[in-house]
Amino acid sequence: MAYSDKVVDHYENPRNVGTLDKSSAEVGTGLVGAPECGDVMRLQIKVNPETQVIEDAKFKTFGCGSAIASSSLATEWVKGKTVAEALSISNTEIVKELALPPVKIHCSVLAEDAIRAAIGDWKKKNNVAEAEPALAGASA
Amino acid sequence: MTYFEVFGLPPKLQLDTAALEKSFYRLSREFHPDRFASKPAEEQAAATEKSSLLNDAYRTLRDPIRRTEYLLETEGVELEEQSVKATERARAAGEQKKQIVPPDLLEEAFELNMQLEELKMAKAGGDDDPQLRKDLEAAKANFTGLLHASQKQLEAEWTSWDAAVDTGDNGAKDAAKDEMVALLNRRSYLRNLVRDVHAALE
Repeated sequence: MAYSDKVVDHYENPRNVGTLDKSSAEVGTGLVGAPECGDVMRLQIKVNPETQVIEDAKFKTFGCGSAIASSSLATEWVKGKTVAEALSISNTEIVKELALPPVKIHCSVLAEDAIRAAIGDWKKKNNVAEAEPALAGASA
Repeated sequence: MTYFEVFGLPPKLQLDTAALEKSFYRLSREFHPDRFASKPAEEQAAATEKSSLLNDAYRTLRDPIRRTEYLLETEGVELEEQSVKATERARAAGEQKKQIVPPDLLEEAFELNMQLEELKMAKAGGDDDPQLRKDLEAAKANFTGLLHASQKQLEAEWTSWDAAVDTGDNGAKDAAKDEMVALLNRRSYLRNLVRDVHAALE
Protein backbone atom coordinates (compact mmCIF):
# COMPACT_ATOMS: atom_id res chain seq x y z
CA MET A 1 0.00 0.00 0.00
CA ALA A 2 1.30 3.44 -0.88
CA TYR A 3 1.54 5.94 1.95
CA SER A 4 0.77 9.58 1.30
CA ASP A 5 3.69 12.04 1.30
CA LYS A 6 2.57 13.46 4.63
CA VAL A 7 2.55 10.03 6.27
CA VAL A 8 6.01 9.31 4.89
CA ASP A 9 7.25 12.67 6.14
CA HIS A 10 5.96 12.08 9.68
CA TYR A 11 7.20 8.52 9.61
CA GLU A 12 10.70 9.44 8.52
CA ASN A 13 10.91 12.58 10.63
CA PRO A 14 8.58 11.98 13.53
CA ARG A 15 7.95 15.10 15.61
CA ASN A 16 8.17 15.07 19.37
CA VAL A 17 9.26 11.50 20.00
CA GLY A 18 10.13 11.02 23.64
CA THR A 19 9.03 10.97 27.22
CA LEU A 20 7.80 13.51 29.76
CA ASP A 21 7.95 13.00 33.50
CA LYS A 22 4.96 10.81 34.21
CA SER A 23 4.88 11.68 37.91
CA SER A 24 4.66 15.44 37.38
CA ALA A 25 1.27 16.99 38.15
CA GLU A 26 1.51 19.04 34.97
CA VAL A 27 1.92 15.96 32.78
CA GLY A 28 -0.92 13.83 31.48
CA THR A 29 -0.17 10.42 30.00
CA GLY A 30 -2.40 8.51 27.59
CA LEU A 31 -1.64 4.93 26.72
CA VAL A 32 -3.91 3.31 24.16
CA GLY A 33 -3.88 0.27 21.94
CA ALA A 34 -5.53 -0.90 18.76
CA PRO A 35 -6.62 -4.51 18.97
CA GLU A 36 -6.86 -4.79 15.17
CA CYS A 37 -3.13 -4.53 14.68
CA GLY A 38 -1.44 -4.71 18.06
CA ASP A 39 -0.35 -1.09 17.92
CA VAL A 40 0.40 0.67 21.17
CA MET A 41 0.64 4.42 21.47
CA ARG A 42 1.76 6.61 24.35
CA LEU A 43 1.05 10.31 24.17
CA GLN A 44 2.00 12.76 26.90
CA ILE A 45 1.14 16.40 27.37
CA LYS A 46 2.57 19.05 29.67
CA VAL A 47 -0.03 21.60 30.70
CA ASN A 48 0.62 25.07 32.07
CA PRO A 49 -1.39 25.17 35.33
CA GLU A 50 -2.13 28.88 34.99
CA THR A 51 -3.29 29.05 31.39
CA GLN A 52 -4.18 25.39 30.77
CA VAL A 53 -2.24 25.64 27.53
CA ILE A 54 -0.49 22.46 26.39
CA GLU A 55 3.12 23.60 26.29
CA ASP A 56 4.76 20.37 25.32
CA ALA A 57 3.75 17.00 23.91
CA LYS A 58 5.69 13.80 23.35
CA PHE A 59 4.81 10.42 21.95
CA LYS A 60 6.14 6.94 21.47
CA THR A 61 4.24 4.60 19.19
CA PHE A 62 4.85 1.02 18.23
CA GLY A 63 2.95 0.28 15.08
CA CYS A 64 2.61 0.90 11.39
CA GLY A 65 3.60 4.06 9.53
CA SER A 66 0.09 5.48 9.73
CA ALA A 67 -0.07 5.01 13.50
CA ILE A 68 3.28 6.73 13.93
CA ALA A 69 2.29 9.56 11.59
CA SER A 70 -1.09 9.98 13.33
CA SER A 71 0.49 10.32 16.76
CA SER A 72 3.28 12.54 15.48
CA LEU A 73 0.67 14.85 13.95
CA ALA A 74 -1.41 14.72 17.12
CA THR A 75 1.49 16.03 19.21
CA GLU A 76 2.04 18.84 16.72
CA TRP A 77 -1.60 19.80 16.83
CA VAL A 78 -2.11 19.79 20.60
CA LYS A 79 0.93 21.94 21.28
CA GLY A 80 -0.10 25.52 21.94
CA LYS A 81 -3.76 24.61 22.30
CA THR A 82 -5.69 24.81 25.54
CA VAL A 83 -6.91 21.55 27.01
CA ALA A 84 -10.47 22.42 25.95
CA GLU A 85 -9.37 23.13 22.39
CA ALA A 86 -7.34 19.93 22.15
CA LEU A 87 -10.41 17.91 23.11
CA SER A 88 -12.14 19.01 19.94
CA ILE A 89 -9.54 17.41 17.64
CA SER A 90 -11.24 14.58 15.81
CA ASN A 91 -9.93 11.53 14.04
CA THR A 92 -11.52 12.65 10.78
CA GLU A 93 -9.30 15.74 10.76
CA ILE A 94 -6.27 13.50 11.15
CA VAL A 95 -7.51 11.23 8.34
CA LYS A 96 -7.91 14.26 6.09
CA GLU A 97 -4.56 15.80 6.91
CA LEU A 98 -2.66 12.55 6.34
CA ALA A 99 -4.88 11.27 3.52
CA LEU A 100 -5.26 7.94 5.30
CA PRO A 101 -7.01 5.15 3.38
CA PRO A 102 -10.08 3.51 4.98
CA VAL A 103 -8.08 0.53 6.28
CA LYS A 104 -5.92 2.93 8.30
CA ILE A 105 -8.72 4.93 9.90
CA HIS A 106 -8.25 3.06 13.15
CA CYS A 107 -4.77 4.63 13.43
CA SER A 108 -6.31 8.10 13.52
CA VAL A 109 -8.93 6.89 16.00
CA LEU A 110 -6.12 5.66 18.16
CA ALA A 111 -4.42 9.05 18.05
CA GLU A 112 -7.62 10.81 19.07
CA ASP A 113 -8.11 8.29 21.87
CA ALA A 114 -4.55 8.96 23.01
CA ILE A 115 -5.14 12.72 23.20
CA ARG A 116 -8.33 12.20 25.20
CA ALA A 117 -6.65 9.67 27.47
CA ALA A 118 -3.72 12.03 28.15
CA ILE A 119 -6.08 14.90 28.93
CA GLY A 120 -8.21 12.59 31.07
CA ASP A 121 -5.14 11.60 33.06
CA TRP A 122 -4.14 15.22 33.54
CA LYS A 123 -7.67 16.15 34.64
CA LYS A 124 -7.72 13.32 37.13
CA LYS A 125 -4.40 14.40 38.60
CA ASN A 126 -5.63 17.97 38.92
CA ASN A 127 -9.16 17.19 40.07
CA VAL A 128 -10.89 18.61 37.03
CA ALA A 129 -14.23 16.91 36.39
CA GLU A 130 -14.33 14.85 33.19
CA ALA A 131 -17.16 16.47 31.27
CA GLU A 132 -16.59 19.92 32.73
CA PRO A 133 -14.84 22.40 30.44
CA ALA A 134 -11.27 22.46 31.68
CA LEU A 135 -11.10 26.21 31.95
CA ALA A 136 -14.05 28.53 32.43
CA GLY A 137 -13.94 30.96 29.54
CA ALA A 138 -11.99 28.66 27.26
CA SER A 139 -15.07 26.59 26.60
CA ALA A 140 -17.11 29.17 24.72
CA MET B 1 -28.45 -18.99 4.05
CA THR B 2 -26.15 -18.71 7.06
CA TYR B 3 -23.34 -21.17 7.74
CA PHE B 4 -25.35 -22.46 10.68
CA GLU B 5 -28.34 -23.09 8.42
CA VAL B 6 -26.14 -25.01 5.97
CA PHE B 7 -25.81 -27.62 8.70
CA GLY B 8 -29.39 -27.21 9.97
CA LEU B 9 -28.04 -25.78 13.22
CA PRO B 10 -29.41 -23.02 15.45
CA PRO B 11 -27.19 -19.90 15.76
CA LYS B 12 -25.44 -21.14 18.88
CA LEU B 13 -21.79 -21.26 19.78
CA GLN B 14 -21.32 -24.42 21.77
CA LEU B 15 -20.91 -26.93 19.04
CA ASP B 16 -20.17 -30.61 18.81
CA THR B 17 -17.33 -30.49 16.29
CA ALA B 18 -17.28 -34.28 15.85
CA ALA B 19 -20.94 -34.22 14.81
CA LEU B 20 -20.21 -31.22 12.59
CA GLU B 21 -17.47 -33.17 10.84
CA LYS B 22 -19.82 -36.10 10.26
CA SER B 23 -22.49 -33.83 8.77
CA PHE B 24 -19.84 -32.22 6.64
CA TYR B 25 -18.78 -35.53 5.10
CA ARG B 26 -22.35 -36.64 4.58
CA LEU B 27 -23.31 -33.37 2.85
CA SER B 28 -20.07 -33.35 0.88
CA ARG B 29 -20.96 -36.70 -0.65
CA GLU B 30 -24.43 -35.46 -1.41
CA PHE B 31 -23.15 -32.49 -3.42
CA HIS B 32 -20.04 -34.12 -4.82
CA PRO B 33 -19.46 -33.01 -8.45
CA ASP B 34 -19.02 -36.65 -9.59
CA ARG B 35 -22.63 -37.36 -8.75
CA PHE B 36 -23.73 -34.57 -11.06
CA ALA B 37 -21.46 -35.41 -13.98
CA SER B 38 -24.33 -36.68 -16.13
CA LYS B 39 -26.82 -34.02 -14.95
CA PRO B 40 -27.77 -30.82 -16.80
CA ALA B 41 -25.35 -27.92 -16.53
CA GLU B 42 -27.58 -25.88 -14.18
CA GLU B 43 -27.77 -28.73 -11.72
CA GLN B 44 -24.02 -29.19 -11.88
CA ALA B 45 -23.49 -25.49 -11.25
CA ALA B 46 -25.92 -25.52 -8.33
CA ALA B 47 -24.15 -28.50 -6.78
CA THR B 48 -20.76 -26.84 -7.19
CA GLU B 49 -22.08 -23.73 -5.49
CA LYS B 50 -23.54 -25.73 -2.61
CA SER B 51 -20.35 -27.64 -2.27
CA SER B 52 -18.32 -24.47 -2.02
CA LEU B 53 -20.74 -22.92 0.50
CA LEU B 54 -20.51 -26.12 2.52
CA ASN B 55 -16.72 -25.93 2.58
CA ASP B 56 -16.72 -22.31 3.71
CA ALA B 57 -19.32 -23.07 6.35
CA TYR B 58 -17.37 -26.03 7.70
CA ARG B 59 -14.06 -24.21 7.82
CA THR B 60 -15.65 -21.29 9.64
CA LEU B 61 -17.73 -23.22 12.15
CA ARG B 62 -15.14 -25.78 13.18
CA ASP B 63 -12.79 -23.00 14.33
CA PRO B 64 -14.01 -21.60 17.67
CA ILE B 65 -12.75 -18.06 17.04
CA ARG B 66 -13.94 -17.82 13.47
CA ARG B 67 -17.27 -19.28 14.53
CA THR B 68 -17.66 -16.55 17.16
CA GLU B 69 -16.59 -13.83 14.75
CA TYR B 70 -18.98 -15.15 12.15
CA LEU B 71 -21.89 -15.21 14.57
CA LEU B 72 -21.18 -11.63 15.62
CA GLU B 73 -20.99 -10.66 11.98
CA THR B 74 -24.41 -12.18 11.29
CA GLU B 75 -25.62 -10.20 14.31
CA GLY B 76 -24.42 -7.03 12.62
CA VAL B 77 -21.41 -6.42 14.84
CA GLU B 78 -18.39 -4.88 13.17
CA LEU B 79 -15.46 -4.80 15.50
CA GLU B 80 -13.66 -1.85 13.97
CA GLU B 81 -16.86 0.10 13.38
CA GLN B 82 -17.60 -0.17 17.09
CA SER B 83 -14.30 1.38 18.01
CA VAL B 84 -14.86 4.39 15.74
CA LYS B 85 -18.36 4.90 17.12
CA ALA B 86 -17.15 4.69 20.71
CA THR B 87 -14.58 7.39 19.99
CA GLU B 88 -17.25 9.60 18.45
CA ARG B 89 -19.51 9.13 21.47
CA ALA B 90 -16.67 10.02 23.83
CA ARG B 91 -15.94 13.20 21.89
CA ALA B 92 -19.59 14.23 21.88
CA ALA B 93 -19.95 13.60 25.61
CA GLY B 94 -16.59 15.15 26.47
CA GLU B 95 -15.58 11.96 28.19
CA GLN B 96 -12.78 9.51 27.95
CA LYS B 97 -13.37 6.45 25.84
CA LYS B 98 -13.43 3.20 27.68
CA GLN B 99 -10.46 1.29 26.35
CA ILE B 100 -11.04 -2.24 25.15
CA VAL B 101 -7.52 -3.24 25.99
CA PRO B 102 -7.15 -3.06 29.79
CA PRO B 103 -4.55 -0.54 31.09
CA ASP B 104 -2.30 -3.11 32.74
CA LEU B 105 -2.12 -5.10 29.52
CA LEU B 106 -1.25 -1.93 27.63
CA GLU B 107 1.54 -1.14 30.09
CA GLU B 108 2.93 -4.62 29.56
CA ALA B 109 2.59 -4.35 25.80
CA PHE B 110 4.40 -1.03 25.80
CA GLU B 111 7.20 -2.36 27.97
CA LEU B 112 7.48 -5.44 25.79
CA ASN B 113 7.73 -3.35 22.64
CA MET B 114 10.51 -1.29 24.22
CA GLN B 115 12.41 -4.51 24.90
CA LEU B 116 11.75 -5.77 21.40
CA GLU B 117 13.14 -2.58 19.97
CA GLU B 118 16.21 -2.94 22.17
CA LEU B 119 16.73 -6.50 20.99
CA LYS B 120 16.39 -5.49 17.35
CA MET B 121 18.92 -2.71 17.82
CA ALA B 122 21.34 -5.01 19.62
CA LYS B 123 20.96 -7.56 16.83
CA ALA B 124 21.53 -4.90 14.17
CA GLY B 125 24.67 -3.90 16.04
CA GLY B 126 25.83 -7.49 15.90
CA ASP B 127 25.35 -8.57 19.50
CA ASP B 128 22.70 -10.56 21.23
CA ASP B 129 21.86 -9.81 24.83
CA PRO B 130 21.13 -13.13 26.56
CA GLN B 131 19.33 -11.50 29.50
CA LEU B 132 17.08 -9.54 27.16
CA ARG B 133 16.35 -12.69 25.24
CA LYS B 134 15.42 -14.45 28.48
CA ASP B 135 13.09 -11.62 29.45
CA LEU B 136 11.41 -11.82 26.09
CA GLU B 137 10.99 -15.57 26.34
CA ALA B 138 9.29 -15.02 29.68
CA ALA B 139 7.07 -12.31 28.20
CA LYS B 140 6.13 -14.59 25.35
CA ALA B 141 5.12 -17.32 27.78
CA ASN B 142 3.10 -14.82 29.79
CA PHE B 143 1.19 -13.49 26.80
CA THR B 144 0.61 -16.98 25.44
CA GLY B 145 -0.89 -17.86 28.83
CA LEU B 146 -3.17 -14.82 28.69
CA LEU B 147 -4.18 -15.79 25.18
CA HIS B 148 -5.27 -19.22 26.36
CA ALA B 149 -7.09 -17.73 29.33
CA SER B 150 -9.03 -15.42 27.02
CA GLN B 151 -10.18 -18.45 25.06
CA LYS B 152 -11.62 -19.96 28.25
CA GLN B 153 -13.42 -16.70 29.01
CA LEU B 154 -14.80 -16.68 25.51
CA GLU B 155 -16.16 -20.17 25.96
CA ALA B 156 -17.94 -19.04 29.11
CA GLU B 157 -19.65 -16.32 27.07
CA TRP B 158 -20.78 -18.96 24.58
CA THR B 159 -22.75 -20.58 27.38
CA SER B 160 -24.42 -17.26 28.21
CA TRP B 161 -25.18 -16.61 24.54
CA ASP B 162 -26.65 -20.07 23.94
CA ALA B 163 -28.83 -19.83 27.03
CA ALA B 164 -30.09 -16.42 25.91
CA VAL B 165 -30.91 -17.82 22.46
CA ASP B 166 -32.97 -20.55 24.11
CA THR B 167 -34.90 -18.18 26.34
CA GLY B 168 -35.11 -15.42 23.70
CA ASP B 169 -33.73 -12.94 26.22
CA ASN B 170 -32.49 -10.06 24.05
CA GLY B 171 -30.90 -8.17 26.92
CA ALA B 172 -28.81 -11.18 27.85
CA LYS B 173 -27.94 -11.70 24.20
CA ASP B 174 -26.68 -8.15 23.88
CA ALA B 175 -24.67 -8.45 27.07
CA ALA B 176 -23.02 -11.65 25.83
CA LYS B 177 -22.35 -10.03 22.46
CA ASP B 178 -20.61 -7.05 24.07
CA GLU B 179 -18.47 -9.34 26.19
CA MET B 180 -17.52 -11.43 23.19
CA VAL B 181 -16.53 -8.35 21.20
CA ALA B 182 -14.31 -7.18 24.07
CA LEU B 183 -12.73 -10.61 24.42
CA LEU B 184 -12.08 -10.99 20.70
CA ASN B 185 -10.39 -7.61 20.64
CA ARG B 186 -8.27 -8.48 23.63
CA ARG B 187 -7.41 -11.76 21.98
CA SER B 188 -6.32 -10.24 18.72
CA TYR B 189 -4.17 -7.81 20.68
CA LEU B 190 -2.49 -10.66 22.53
CA ARG B 191 -2.06 -12.65 19.36
CA ASN B 192 -0.26 -9.77 17.69
CA LEU B 193 2.04 -9.40 20.67
CA VAL B 194 2.90 -13.07 20.70
CA ARG B 195 3.57 -12.93 16.96
CA ASP B 196 5.88 -9.92 17.33
CA VAL B 197 7.86 -11.46 20.17
CA HIS B 198 8.12 -14.68 18.27
CA ALA B 199 9.42 -12.91 15.16
CA ALA B 200 12.00 -10.98 17.17
CA LEU B 201 13.30 -14.12 18.85
CA GLU B 202 13.71 -16.04 15.59
